[in-house]
Amino acid sequence: MPLPDRLTCEETFERLDDYLDRELDAAERRRVDEHLAVCDVCTAEYRFEATVLDALRDRLRRVRVPEAVRGRLLTRLREASP
Amino acid sequence: MCRQLALAVGQPRRVRLSARDEFEALLVPALDAAWGTALRLTGNAGDAEDLLQDASLLAWRGFGSFEPGSNFRAWFFRILTNRFFSTWRKQKRSGTTLELEEAPELYLYTRAEELGLQQTPDPAGALLSKIDVETIEAALAALPDEFREVATLAFMQDLSYQEIADQMAIPVGTVRSRLHRARRLLQRALWSVAEGRGLLRGPVADSTGEP
Repeated sequence: MPLPDRLTCEETFERLDDYLDRELDAAERRRVDEHLAVCDVCTAEYRFEATVLDALRDRLRRVRVPEAVRGRLLTRLREASP
Repeated sequence: MCRQLALAVGQPRRVRLSARDEFEALLVPALDAAWGTALRLTGNAGDAEDLLQDASLLAWRGFGSFEPGSNFRAWFFRILTNRFFSTWRKQKRSGTTLELEEAPELYLYTRAEELGLQQTPDPAGALLSKIDVETIEAALAALPDEFREVATLAFMQDLSYQEIADQMAIPVGTVRSRLHRARRLLQRALWSVAEGRGLLRGPVADSTGEP
């Protein structure tokens, strides 16, 4: 039986997306932290989701503008009047 | 103060850049990330180049309103996304390729469990080691526009729900629900693209590289 101010697994899961997005306020964040500190199942789910998100973000950001695109852009800019 | 005048009054080390040089010096380091955002918003390289050019010319013409010392990248990205949502998206709305069937929560987590990866030290890392960036891009591109757009802004620019809502001119609650749903759809799309490409055949290594 969880304490009244302690989140259940279900309540924690409902907050997981906002927690991952750092959109919970400090008090709510702390309640999720407290639950994760004592629940291996929720911690495994959280870690999995966080790792997937970080990896996607990281890989999608490793993009370089092609040289030709950059060259054409700078040429257009230099031709444009101020 | 122009360079010649600075030299004359004994401050020879400060070379004043022209506004155009100054603009380019700020723009060029932001181009890779801007290109990535434009590519994912428009869905193809030709349109991404046009959008990037449009946004850069607009930014150059409005450079007088940029406050020196403030965050150029954030300023430029706002111009780029505003341009996309105000003009571009209306003209060039792309078709959707993914059925809007709901994706269950923890989709990849469950799949990793089925592959027996939950016993490994890093189940997510083990699964992702099979999925290359082309697969991720294809999965993102397969999302319906409204989901791809919020996911792009969140992934590429680290914006808060409120900032995304401001850029897209939609309510913050809509951003939140779209983004959460976009992630679930993306996980399902990732799995289906990776499977279709045969990436998930054979043993999946754990994060230490052991099969």
